[in-house]
Amino acid sequence: MTDAAERAQQLALVSRLKTIFPEVPEWPTPDMITHDHYLAYMKTSHDVGGELDYPHPYENKEEEQWELMTYVLCEVLGMRGIWVSEERRRLANVDVGRAIYLGLPYYSRWLWSVGRLLMEKKHISWGELTDRLAEVQARYAGGLNGQRPKAEPKFEGDGSGVSRNKHHLEAAGVGDPQCFAGQAGVAKFNVGDKVKVRDLPAMFYTRTPEYCRGAEGTIAEVTYESPAPEDEAWDREDAESEWFYIVRFNQAELWDNYTGPKNDTLQTEIPERWLEAVG
Amino acid sequence: MSEHGHDHDHSRTVKPMVDEITDFEVLEIALRELCIEKGLFTAEDHRLFTEYAEHIGPTPGARLVAKAWLDDAFKELAISDAVAAAKEVGIDWLEPTGFGTPSDFVAFKILADTPTVHNVIVCALCSCYPRPILGNSPEWYRTPNYRRRIVRWPRQVLSEFGLQLPDDVEVRVEDSNQKHRFMVMPMRPEGTDGWTEDQLTEIITRDCLIGVALPRPGITTNVTPLVRAAIRPIEA
Repeated sequence: MTDAAERAQQLALVSRLKTIFPEVPEWPTPDMITHDHYLAYMKTSHDVGGELDYPHPYENKEEEQWELMTYVLCEVLGMRGIWVSEERRRLANVDVGRAIYLGLPYYSRWLWSVGRLLMEKKHISWGELTDRLAEVQARYAGGLNGQRPKAEPKFEGDGSGVSRNKHHLEAAGVGDPQCFAGQAGVAKFNVGDKVKVRDLPAMFYTRTPEYCRGAEGTIAEVTYESPAPEDEAWDREDAESEWFYIVRFNQAELWDNYTGPKNDTLQTEIPERWLEAVG
Repeated sequence: MSEHGHDHDHSRTVKPMVDEITDFEVLEIALRELCIEKGLFTAEDHRLFTEYAEHIGPTPGARLVAKAWLDDAFKELAISDAVAAAKEVGIDWLEPTGFGTPSDFVAFKILADTPTVHNVIVCALCSCYPRPILGNSPEWYRTPNYRRRIVRWPRQVLSEFGLQLPDDVEVRVEDSNQKHRFMVMPMRPEGTDGWTEDQLTEIITRDCLIGVALPRPGITTNVTPLVRAAIRPIEA
C-alpha cells in the first residue's frame, strides 16, 4: 500500500471479512452471549468432525515447490529439536483462529506456525522477521522473469547455543511413542471396558473431538504411553505420560439420526485423562 | 497497467500474475534463511529431509498389501506389528531422524478389512497420514469437507467416491487423531488367481489404502481424476 487510494481499498476489503455469528453483534456485552455461543466461539477450529457441509467434487492438487519446502522446514525444525509436531498443530490449526483456519491455504498455516514459534521461543525478533520479509519482497520486486525464487541465507549460523528440546535426543534410536514406554504405570482400562468420554471445559487445545464428548464406547485397544497432546502442544517436557486407547463407538448411538446400518462404528484414539468408566 | 481509473480492487483480488512471487514463497524463504543463519538447522539438514520427502510414495504400502495377500504369515505380521512388516518393503519408520518423522511418529497400524468390516481412514482434526509408507496425503483428504462428513455420513461420502457397501458390512471409520498412523489392508478381489506380487501391487491404489476404493482387476488409478494445477510445481 503506497497511497491513500490503495489504503482505502484495503480497508474496504478487510471490512467485508465477517467472522462472527450473524445473529450476534460485534463486540457483544456479556449479557448478549449465551453459553452455547460461548462454547461455539471457544471450540478449537480444527475440530470439524460432524459439522454440516455439502457434497462437492474431491480434488487432487499438484504440489507447489514452496509447499514441499514448507513441509521440509517444519519437519527439519522437529528433527533438530526446536519443536515437536504437536506445537505446530496447536499453532497452525487452532491458534490461527477460525477466519485464517478456513480462509487461507493449508500450508500457509504451517508457515504461520513456524514464524510464530520462532518469535515466541525468542529465536528471532519481530524486527529480524519483518526486515527479512521486506528484503525478500524487494529481491523479487521486478518479477521472477521465469526464474524460481530461492532462499539465500547470508551465512550458516553456529547452532551450538540454540535451546533445543530433550526429546529429539532422548528418542533417538528408540522412536516416539516408544521413548515413553513404562512411564505411565498401570493402564486404567482394558479391552472391552465400557467408557464414557468426559465433557470437560477444554480451552485452547485438545485432540478429543466434540463429536464424542459425553458419548459411551468400548475400549478396542490399549495402545501406548505418551504425554497427552494437550501437554505436548505447549512443549511441556515435564508432563507425565498416560495410557492411550482406541475407543469404538456405535454410529447409531454417536449421532442423532444416523441413517446407516445399526452396526456401523467409528473408532478414535483418546488419552486416559478424557475417559471415565461406565457402570 | 489497467485503463480503468480505480481498478485496484480487481487487480488485488484476482490470483497473482504467474511471474510475481507469492506471499507464501516470500514467507517460506524468509523463515528458512533466518533458521539457517540462527543455526537452528543446517542447509545439509534441509537437504537430507528434502531428499526423504521427495522419495516417499504409495508403492511400498501397495506392495505390503500384495505381499500379505500372497503370504498368510506375513499378513499376520502386518496385523500384529505393522512397523516390522513395513521394514520388509523397505520402509523404516524411524527414518530419517532416528526417532521417526516428527509428524508421523512410530505407531503404524494396519487395519485389515474382512467380509464383515470395511475400514476407512480420516484425521478429522488435521490430516494425519502414514506418510513414510504412503507418501503425502491427497488434497481432498486434508479438506474440512472430507473431515466433517466422513465421520458422520461415511456411506454417503464413500458413495461419492463410487463405493457402496452392503448393509451387512460394518463401515468402520478410523479417526487417526493421536500418534497412530493407519493404513487399510483391503481384501483380495476376485479375478486375481495366480497373479504375481507386481500385478497385485498395481491394482492396490492409494485410494484403496485409505479405504475410499476397493481394488479391482484392471483399475490401476485413483478414483478422482480432478487435479488442480500448481503455479510453480515441485522442481524436477
